[in-house]
Amino acid sequence: MITNHPTTELLTEYATGAMSLAPLISITTHLQFCEHCRDAVAGLNALGGEFLGECEGTAISDRLLADTLDRLDEEPLPETIEAAPASFAIDAALEEQLPAYLHKFVGRSPLNWRSLSSSLSVAPISVGETAYELALHKIDAGGTTPSHDHRGMELTVVLKGSFSDEHGVYHEGDFLIREPGHVHRPAAAQNQACICLSVLEAPIKLQGLKRVLNPFMQFNPS
Amino acid sequence: MAIKQISKGTMKEQTGPDWNALLVRVGSHQDKSAFGALFAHFAPLLKGFLLKGGGVEPEQAEELVQETMIKVWRKAPTYAPAQAAASTWMYTIARNTRIDWLRKHSKRNQQTDELVAEDLFDENEASSPFVALIQNRNAGHIKTHLKELPQEQLQVLTLMYFQGKSGQEVAHELNIPLGTVKSRVRLALQKLKLKLSPTGDDRKVVYVQ
Repeated sequence: MITNHPTTELLTEYATGAMSLAPLISITTHLQFCEHCRDAVAGLNALGGEFLGECEGTAISDRLLADTLDRLDEEPLPETIEAAPASFAIDAALEEQLPAYLHKFVGRSPLNWRSLSSSLSVAPISVGETAYELALHKIDAGGTTPSHDHRGMELTVVLKGSFSDEHGVYHEGDFLIREPGHVHRPAAAQNQACICLSVLEAPIKLQGLKRVLNPFMQFNPS
Repeated sequence: MAIKQISKGTMKEQTGPDWNALLVRVGSHQDKSAFGALFAHFAPLLKGFLLKGGGVEPEQAEELVQETMIKVWRKAPTYAPAQAAASTWMYTIARNTRIDWLRKHSKRNQQTDELVAEDLFDENEASSPFVALIQNRNAGHIKTHLKELPQEQLQVLTLMYFQGKSGQEVAHELNIPLGTVKSRVRLALQKLKLKLSPTGDDRKVVYVQ
């Protein structure tokens, strides 16, 4: 039973395209587990469809359709397109613990697990983004992590197993938002290791007003 | 029961071509005349949508429209009308195209990588077994109630959808507290009878200062 979800604000920013890569990946990962939030996002997308369908059309150049049709001939036939395979093999034991959606990201570079404490290890996942650290965290069965604070916002999705802290118990699919100043001390369940996907604001000094206002935003559209 | 409820949906009330069927036809037969009909209807809408968002010149908007329509052609075989109306599906493709374009053209851009938005979303993930019912209900509610939204709620949604602004940026632009933006979004979605997150937004999300 999933009891922790992204907020409505996060789901809206997801559906409207205001998020950068790593937070996006964490929301899509939660959606792999959560039917309720999938339905919520479907509704938000339908609202986008309505805005598109009802917006005021603007005349387009006469030749745009012809140009586009020409370009279609250069496109491979739709059926022949296949998803790009992962560049690196993922450890089979780990692979079956991760939602299939994550395989393409985890398989992009060799996973490099490093130990943070006796029972906690971390493996960064590179998505070519510097403002956020995307990583897998693993707490060994029965293990407790050191008490820690968060320098920036941290988003966590439980992928396998469960863990608990002072505030509750979190199961597969749960989505947690941890804020700066939020100190906690997670511990995995006794019987099973816990694997989480986490997105952490990179410990770099944010520059520029936009970034300060909105660390999820990677670009300035205006 | 399911059939009865679907027939009550408002999707079929609109007159004119059945865009969903044309899109299916493009996917199943690579039908260029069906594609041409979709193009004639949606290309001006896509351009209007992009220009309303700002930050894009008319010339660039046409490039983005073309790119979006080429993706529509390429991805049409994955389109499932039970999951989304053609306009909704096109919206997600246009949104993803805009995300990629803005990333590519941003001076602030720190991306070093070829990942594209399409890889990050997972639109084809089947939703609940009642997805067709939910879709019809959502579409009906949105059509009925969107015009009734108070201006201040519509304004916030417009900034988010057309300009891709975050809640925090909308708050900054309108010079209102973030909490007010969040509550306007929630109130609007409630009025449109769309599902909210089960987790309340009372939890304060603190952005790094």
